[in-house]
Amino acid sequence: MRNKLRDGVSILGVGCSQFGDLLETPEIKGLSLQELTNQAVQEALADAGVDPLEIDAVFIGNAMVHSSQLPGTYSQLAKWLGMQFKSGVHFEAQCSTTNVGAAMAAMAIASGVYGKVLVIGFEATRTRAKELSPYEREPISTDQAWAWTDLAVNQAYSVPQGYEIFSTYNGLVALGYCRKYGISIEDYDRGMMEICRSRRLHGSMTPKAILQETLEDEAARLGFNDLKEFWESRYNPFVAWPSRVRNVVSVADGASAMVLGRSDEARSYSVSPVELLGFGIVYGDLPWYGSDPTVWPIDRMAWQRAYQMSGISPRDLDYIHTHDCSNICGICNLEIAGYIPEGKSLYYAMDGRMGYDADRPVSTHGGRHAFGHAWAASAGSDTYEAVLQMRGEAGKRQIKPWPETAAIHTHGYAMISTVLILRRC
Amino acid sequence: MAESIIKRYYDTLGEGKLLATNCLDCEGYTFPPTTACEYCGSTDLEFIHLSGKGKLLFLSHGVAPPPNARFVDIAPYAYGHILLEEGVYVQGIVTGVKPEPEVLQEIYDRGPALVEPDIIELQGLKILAFKMV
Ligand SMILES: [Zn+2]
Repeated sequence: MRNKLRDGVSILGVGCSQFGDLLETPEIKGLSLQELTNQAVQEALADAGVDPLEIDAVFIGNAMVHSSQLPGTYSQLAKWLGMQFKSGVHFEAQCSTTNVGAAMAAMAIASGVYGKVLVIGFEATRTRAKELSPYEREPISTDQAWAWTDLAVNQAYSVPQGYEIFSTYNGLVALGYCRKYGISIEDYDRGMMEICRSRRLHGSMTPKAILQETLEDEAARLGFNDLKEFWESRYNPFVAWPSRVRNVVSVADGASAMVLGRSDEARSYSVSPVELLGFGIVYGDLPWYGSDPTVWPIDRMAWQRAYQMSGISPRDLDYIHTHDCSNICGICNLEIAGYIPEGKSLYYAMDGRMGYDADRPVSTHGGRHAFGHAWAASAGSDTYEAVLQMRGEAGKRQIKPWPETAAIHTHGYAMISTVLILRRC
Repeated sequence: MAESIIKRYYDTLGEGKLLATNCLDCEGYTFPPTTACEYCGSTDLEFIHLSGKGKLLFLSHGVAPPPNARFVDIAPYAYGHILLEEGVYVQGIVTGVKPEPEVLQEIYDRGPALVEPDIIELQGLKILAFKMV
């Protein structure tokens, strides 16, 4: 593998919809998926200062066709997005979709085939099309959403024999982490509360997040003066011991988009373009780990390839997001990435070092728990946040000084590990 | 009529055996079996049986109602990460364990435990579960 981009590629513009519920969240209530997606696309085009006619190709992703009922998204959304008669394709890499799309766009641009590519991801994980109605939607139950989502997991053997995300992707990894580093279950739980507190604080400063209430405010609303008492209460049960429900994903409807183009033309489009320095993409079927649940081969390989292509080292990173659909897997990737020393993430969290205003900022939009998780759109929302931070546009949660180099890691079921490395030009 | 390897695996479970493939090129085991070696991609394979005996490394649990309707009667259930004596990692339901924090904490504190297959039938399908011995 040559593992190099022949020409430089930059992100010219980014867009992201409100993450929420198409039946409930005021900003998006009543919209169709076509219109929700267009919000993200129009923001990305305006941000890039790129005219729709300048876009050569559209890579558009959606993972769960059962709720969207929009296969063939390229043509179904073409007129809604002002993107008729483009090259392009519908693709999916589940929760890595948009960032895999960015890598595909980078390869297409660096090869000289396309000049500007629009990458889009959209998803409805809370609502589905209602019967035969072209515009009405209805809620999806949580177990139904997971059953559809688990169609992306080994259907021959794992799912029929009892696989479920919470144990495999959370509880078993957590126990592996505690055993490896000699951390007690009590300390694990305390560290996890601090991770959640940090993400919820970030969510409270992020107008597009699905959860904008801090953990402290939620505890008070439910009648608790003591945060730890609330954390250990019936409001926060174990989903897979020793992990609790507030250390996992909050499902959302949402859309994200980005415009990529050649770096040598980037300055004429954006005051502060962000270069896509490199990426690593590696997938593997279950089991995702062997003797050590904290270090997955796909993650190690994806990080290694991304660092190699971009020519940077972990020391260069000023900001990171790692996939935190399960907080423990997010932590393992902070450590595989070399952003936080091995076995230290929970202590960093307890010491408040992962906040937007601390020395090792992580997931400043709130991550999958507070910002929300709209499968195919989420990786793009993570990249959106990184780009805002690098351009100094992150508002109350702005990292200072603005990060120069950032990494975004996502896991797409089941399982594709994807790392993007970005640098402010 | 051809027979799918998937059907053969579940039928073999019904006979109390665990079907795998042994790669004639790299000698790696692929379990459960597929059409190619998971290590080298070779299709030069022979079917073998694994003992199913191994070590339970970690034990957690899932949620109720479960994502898969097949498990609605037994959820929430204990689910473990297991190393078989043939060197194959597998995850599966562990029977006879209440998925409660105190129980799981005790199992975690004791460390790796010996397990053997406990093949159970749910909604007409034989599936591989494990029990502690
Ligand atoms: Zn082989």
